Amino acid sequence: MTDNEADVALMERIRAGDREAFRELVERYQRVVIHLIHRAVGDAWEAEDLAQRVFVQVYRSAHRYRPTAKFTTWLFTIVHHTVLNEQRRRRRRATESLDALQQSDPAADRAGWQPADPRAADPAQAAAEQELQEQLGIVLRELPPQQRTAVILCRFEGRSYAEIAAVLGCSVPAVKSLLHRARVTLLQRLKPFLPGGV
Amino acid sequence: MNCPEIDRYFDARLDAQLPAAADRAFEAHLTGCAACRHRWETYAGTWALLGRHVAPEPSVGFVARTVRRLESPAPAPVFWPLWRWAVLAVLVAALGGGGWHVGHHWRQNRLAMTYAAIHNHDDLEDYDVIATLDVLEGDNAL
Repeated sequence: MTDNEADVALMERIRAGDREAFRELVERYQRVVIHLIHRAVGDAWEAEDLAQRVFVQVYRSAHRYRPTAKFTTWLFTIVHHTVLNEQRRRRRRATESLDALQQSDPAADRAGWQPADPRAADPAQAAAEQELQEQLGIVLRELPPQQRTAVILCRFEGRSYAEIAAVLGCSVPAVKSLLHRARVTLLQRLKPFLPGGV
Repeated sequence: MNCPEIDRYFDARLDAQLPAAADRAFEAHLTGCAACRHRWETYAGTWALLGRHVAPEPSVGFVARTVRRLESPAPAPVFWPLWRWAVLAVLVAALGGGGWHVGHHWRQNRLAMTYAAIHNHDDLEDYDVIATLDVLEGDNAL
């Protein structure tokens, strides 16, 4: 049984209201969904909250799932739209309240921050690694949403152009163009972090 | 493959989409051209660097918490704020009113032209004129 066939079988059980099948599905995809969302929003707790919303959405929409497409394509489409909706909601709140904007800034600064590993042999190296992680997170989050999703699915999940196109609802040439534009931005922003980079 | 065209192959090569022959030509050009090799290494280097980004692992109990979340009621449908409904109502009223106004004028003009045509027609019998006016006024009271 292929991975997709197993997913389809799980979805059929979920459609019948089988909670155990839902648990299995969450076990199976928790890591990839949290990683996808975290790379888009930057905050670990928020990523988990949104990931839970994604899975609940999968459960509630199971009757609408048709196994004509790969399950992961359907799942990633839900992830992409959940993140977009959340960011729209945040923007609306930010424009409605300056206070909210000011409160969200420290979170954005903190986003992607991870404490230095105290076991690290070289504190300077640990600090450099932490700064790199912070910068990578910021660069990813600052990409336009379509480019960001294309980059995350391509670079971190190894998805094909066709699957990324299906998730984003665009053509394969459009995906290539999104990736190219994102890579040009990454080049400009990350060059200083390359060994010997300026 | 030469210097001006090699950049066009960067993305395909990064995604392992370059056909074998093109890949060999690409590699051969880089071997002999330090400037292109530097550009390629920088381009590929930033893509590789991005791959070092670390995302957190799911916290303990994530699955159980997610299953429990199924018990929470579905979110209430999102309602439009009141001011949006007000704007929509004004737009509908304006469009509807405008449409009625234009239609009303058109009907009035048509009736006036019909009256004029009937009164100028000398050979019409009186009862024809009266019958026609009755019909017109019944349908299109001024």
